[in-house]
Amino acid sequence: MSAQAGTAPRTSASLETRFRATARSEWIKFRSVRSGPAVLLATAVILPVTAWLLCGYYSHNWATMSPASQASFDPVFISLRGIEGAQLFVGALGVITVTGEYTSGLIRGTFIATPQRAQVIAMKALIFAAVVWAWCTLLSFAAFFIGQSLLSGPAKHVAIGDPGVLTAVFGGGLYLTFVGLLGLFIGVLLRRTPAALAALFGILLVLPVAVGLLGGQISAQLAQFLPDGGGEEIFKLLHGGAYTLGPWQGFAVLAAYVAAAAAAAFLLLRRRDA
Amino acid sequence: MMSETIQATPATSGRRAAPSALLRARAALCAEWIKLRSLRSMLVTPALAAVVCVGYADYLCWRYTQRWHTFDAASKAGFQPLDVNFNVLVIGVLFFGVLGALVVTNEYGNGLIRATLAATPQRGLILAAKTALVVLIALLSSAVICFALFLTGQGILAGHVPHVTLADPGVLGRVLGAIFYLTAASLIGLFIGVIARSAAVAMTCVFGVFLVLPALLNSLNGGAWRHTVPYLPSNLGDALWLSHTGTGSLASPTVAALGLVAWVIVLGVLATYSLRRRDA
Repeated sequence: MSAQAGTAPRTSASLETRFRATARSEWIKFRSVRSGPAVLLATAVILPVTAWLLCGYYSHNWATMSPASQASFDPVFISLRGIEGAQLFVGALGVITVTGEYTSGLIRGTFIATPQRAQVIAMKALIFAAVVWAWCTLLSFAAFFIGQSLLSGPAKHVAIGDPGVLTAVFGGGLYLTFVGLLGLFIGVLLRRTPAALAALFGILLVLPVAVGLLGGQISAQLAQFLPDGGGEEIFKLLHGGAYTLGPWQGFAVLAAYVAAAAAAAFLLLRRRDA
Repeated sequence: MMSETIQATPATSGRRAAPSALLRARAALCAEWIKLRSLRSMLVTPALAAVVCVGYADYLCWRYTQRWHTFDAASKAGFQPLDVNFNVLVIGVLFFGVLGALVVTNEYGNGLIRATLAATPQRGLILAAKTALVVLIALLSSAVICFALFLTGQGILAGHVPHVTLADPGVLGRVLGAIFYLTAASLIGLFIGVIARSAAVAMTCVFGVFLVLPALLNSLNGGAWRHTVPYLPSNLGDALWLSHTGTGSLASPTVAALGLVAWVIVLGVLATYSLRRRDA
């Protein structure tokens, strides 16, 4: 009787403890792998430097641009374009967060310690997303302010309070976080670094180029439904053209790819050996 | 008996010392060849490159024959049969860069590199052997891919829209230029792999150099950028097979070939230095 009464609170406590323990072990793994800080440092260089280079270029050459290209100039997107370079590194970090553990064999120890595999991966994704989101949002703001300070004067520029701007700048951090999560879940699916990286870069970078080669309307129609073309809408201010989705609709496309990869990853994780 | 041994010893050691450099090179080549041959990605990557490049280029050419009647006169006049055929190399080059990178990073990944370096302490020799074999594999596979690409693509275009043959002026040079570019890309990948020592870093760099960097910078054509952007490895390579080179944002084919050689040499020197100086 008393033993039964004692079991119930112990089980509920152990669930909480288990979550805390998983979170702590995942956090230790995340911060002790060298590639984490290296990637965060790389993004801290890429985003501000690209903003500085591109915005400096356009502010210098503003007078020589045609009225049409002046009208289609997106000051927010140009100052955040470094994201296109940073996504390589953040995506790769997502991949190796998982595949690194498979390569070293540590994953077997992890799954023995915590047989609830879904919980391990969910916690891993959560910690990864929290760190990357906080860091990349910060850098997104830094790149925005660097870019706008260079563009001020002759070139078109905006303030952070202008309509849609805050969404776009926050969107830069969100986009990078979701790209990283896409890499993380692809890593769970493929378990090997080169294969997972090739798959991630293939979907993220090669597919848009391949679709672009088609030419004609179909290119633009397809491009908006790719994770890259759709997701980028979130950090654009201008959504011109007949074939572009709005910021959140576009971001939903990227989120759908991440959700699909996550669903497949959680399904396969339970059924396969480590 | 005694004199025989005395005479034999210097003679044998003399004979042994002379071929040893050659033997060592041959042994290094053999060892590298066995490692390459048994690497699954050495087969998968070129095969995938062939399927993707030839398949997609043929599809694109077929699409042009279907859409030809919708083009206006200006688009018809500006139609470049070889460009639309070879455009797919923008993607194809990635396979070759990754191929080169995986040759060496795979060895670092599984720790085999320590055995390799212990067996052959002449690290420069190892890199030379790897370079030679990568050139051989990349040259063969890119030649097969480029000629297959050209023959099937132009075959599909023929009869419906303008097309070219190998006998047309400059065409053979551009096909050979594409082969040269893909081979150089695999060497750039190899050297990046030696410097990076990890598959993740090397593959990220290959995609960054050949895909992201041109996408970010190609729109800049004013001021100092006009003298920088054409010399990115990807733009130098494209200048070897695209028409309208030597104008605007693309270097002339001769400059492009020399520029690519320069990139390969610079990265090769850096890779040799880093391989000799660092622990495995």
